[in-house]
Amino acid sequence: MPLFGGKHKTPQELVRNLKEALTYLASLNDREEKKAAKASDDVSKTLLAIKNMLYGSVDQDPQTEVNTQLAQEMYSSEMLLLLTENLPKIDFEGKKDVSQIFSNLLRRKIGTRMPTVDHICQRPRILKILMDGYKNQEVALNCGQMLRECCRHEDLARRLLYSEDFYKLFKYVEVSTFDIASDAFSTFKDLLTRHKILCAEFLEANYDKVFIDHYHELLISDNYVTQRQALKLLGELLLDRHNFTTMTRYISNPDNLKLMMNMLRSKSRNIQFEAFHVFKVFVANPNKPKPILEILLRNKERLVDFLSKFHNDRSEDEQFNDEKAYLIKQIKELKPQEEH
Amino acid sequence: MAEVMQDEVYLNYERPEFEHPSLDDIDPLDYMNDFDDDNFAFITKIESDQIIYQPQKLKRAKLIGKYLLGDVLGEGSYGKVKECLDSTNLCRRAVKILKNKKLKRIPNGEANVKREISLLKRLHHKNVIQLHDVLYNEEKQKMYMVMEYCMGGLQEMLESAPEKKFPIWQSHNYFCQLIDGLEYLHSQCIIHKDIKPGNLLLTNCQTLKITDLGVAEALDPFAESDVCRTSQGSPAFQPPEIANGDDTFLGFKVDIWSSGVTLFNLCSGKYPFEGDNIYKLFENIGKGEYSIPEEMDSLLSDLITGMMQYKAEQRFTISQIRNHDWFRKKHPLTLDYVHPPPLPGSEDCTRTMTVLPYLDDLHRGEEDDLGDYDDEAVLSESLVPHEVHPEVVECTPAPCTAETASAPSPTHSQTKPKKKGNVKKFQFNACKPS
Repeated sequence: MPLFGGKHKTPQELVRNLKEALTYLASLNDREEKKAAKASDDVSKTLLAIKNMLYGSVDQDPQTEVNTQLAQEMYSSEMLLLLTENLPKIDFEGKKDVSQIFSNLLRRKIGTRMPTVDHICQRPRILKILMDGYKNQEVALNCGQMLRECCRHEDLARRLLYSEDFYKLFKYVEVSTFDIASDAFSTFKDLLTRHKILCAEFLEANYDKVFIDHYHELLISDNYVTQRQALKLLGELLLDRHNFTTMTRYISNPDNLKLMMNMLRSKSRNIQFEAFHVFKVFVANPNKPKPILEILLRNKERLVDFLSKFHNDRSEDEQFNDEKAYLIKQIKELKPQEEH
Repeated sequence: MAEVMQDEVYLNYERPEFEHPSLDDIDPLDYMNDFDDDNFAFITKIESDQIIYQPQKLKRAKLIGKYLLGDVLGEGSYGKVKECLDSTNLCRRAVKILKNKKLKRIPNGEANVKREISLLKRLHHKNVIQLHDVLYNEEKQKMYMVMEYCMGGLQEMLESAPEKKFPIWQSHNYFCQLIDGLEYLHSQCIIHKDIKPGNLLLTNCQTLKITDLGVAEALDPFAESDVCRTSQGSPAFQPPEIANGDDTFLGFKVDIWSSGVTLFNLCSGKYPFEGDNIYKLFENIGKGEYSIPEEMDSLLSDLITGMMQYKAEQRFTISQIRNHDWFRKKHPLTLDYVHPPPLPGSEDCTRTMTVLPYLDDLHRGEEDDLGDYDDEAVLSESLVPHEVHPEVVECTPAPCTAETASAPSPTHSQTKPKKKGNVKKFQFNACKPS
């Protein structure tokens, strides 16, 4: 190796070096610290060189030809899988470089084809490893970033949504480490909102599993942040036109109404406020099913009374006040369904 | 021209009720120098010896609330759009100035504005224009909608381009953003109904913003379908079902059609349907026969054909557009990028901030030339119809002199009382017409 760094390494050489160093690093056990430090150093250097090749550096713009070769080498040596598998062993800067290399490759386009997306589609294990990354503090945030990068592409988002691993996110958003929980939540939200039609179909097809088995847990979580974010996202999901069927189904279930009515009286004003935005959908529904109507009728007086005192200090929020006035009017005018 | 004349006639005599329930919460504002040039055009005789030569047109600082106005960016049927600067956070904004009198003359004018404000207030997406503030001046019967600043619109860019079109990659970039914004609007149950290049603006970083929701319709969130009954959009972009005058039609598909016509226009500089007048145009659209220019490749022509299907049910959905190969394709960059043209009457291609000279005026005023006009004091007295506020007077040794000195011409000095150093105090009562 020349004294002043391997400046003119070809993509083939870089990928080969990386593979060798990475496999060696992976084969070492915990006691071989010295060897590991050397290998880890090599890995990071090569990763940096690869990153600079992809993104260009101060004195070298990225070259399309070279990058095509580099991508090809990465695919044929299964480097993406290797990198995600061994991510915990790579040092801090190296991990960041991995995530940048990953997103650069993912955005590659040849005509209408996205080669990296196809590559990962054929290797669902990569997605699984990334998802499991949330369990490990060392790599959770890097994995989260890569997952969201995958989520930009409908094909990958579909695989993530329809895999069993998706339901693990319901646990990750509640972990006690705040940055991991919130990172997991943004991945969760991205998956459920980014590709409208895909998400709508997914929610419709898996309604029970998502809302009854899992989402409910978030809404009654002891964790204030989880509960509030989940409630806010629920409001957004229900009011998105694409999720019309899901909304209709959700607001027909009296248990959901009871939950929201209890949350209107939550200790936290913010939870109350978010709950209001879900509660309003139940009331505004022109075709209320009988059980829903009955609950509202039974609580008519109390609801009117409650709502007229509800967050009266929000005088500057015009939309909220309009909606509140509308709800009070609706509830006042509620009449029992006529039996035919 | 007729409109301007009428403005003058009605001046100060007509105080129609102009109540917007949605605007009740707006604080009474302080207005400084907020006079229209046309509003105070009393006919005054001016002796030739009273005309003071002013080599450059001075830019007078004008504040609407906390916003310092800049030059005119454009003019619509409702009034002007000016650049402005939020003096509290120094953000560059645009303000749409709506005059109640003009609004009243436009069919559904007031209702459209009211609806647009209530819709914009709840929309937050990077491809939909953001409404930051709404101000209302009861006295002058004007409304100010403060919005995100955009450097220009696609329509003016198209008009400035040699073949009235963009290179494919540029059109593709705008079209993708249009679809993102449109998908958001549709997800919020909003049908825009007037998608066209003229309603698509660009920020300095080439982010496209869908604007003008004046004729948009918000669907009932519980309505099973997107059936609509009315449309007031621009004729050339309307689908056959509207051109034929159908009683009901599918709302979301209207936007798809208009976006198809928009794409057609961006890529070719032409319109699929034309006609000497609106009847002939609608007749042609109603027939639904159009030809795709030969220069368009097969992918593009396939996409446009999908978006402009005669039968609304067969027209593409947003997700079909997204998955179309032309949409997904990476289009090679070429060097013929079309820039936004300079503003009319300016040569500045970069569209730098036009608020700067006004800012200069606001903070420095015309201290420099005070001395030069000391002996014009007598002359200027007769030219100032408005009372000079005490605060203004006390900050300069020869207040009347200042009036004259700063005025571009005597006619101007009578329409615009001069504010001086103490801007704050001036705001409150100095400029209310007596």
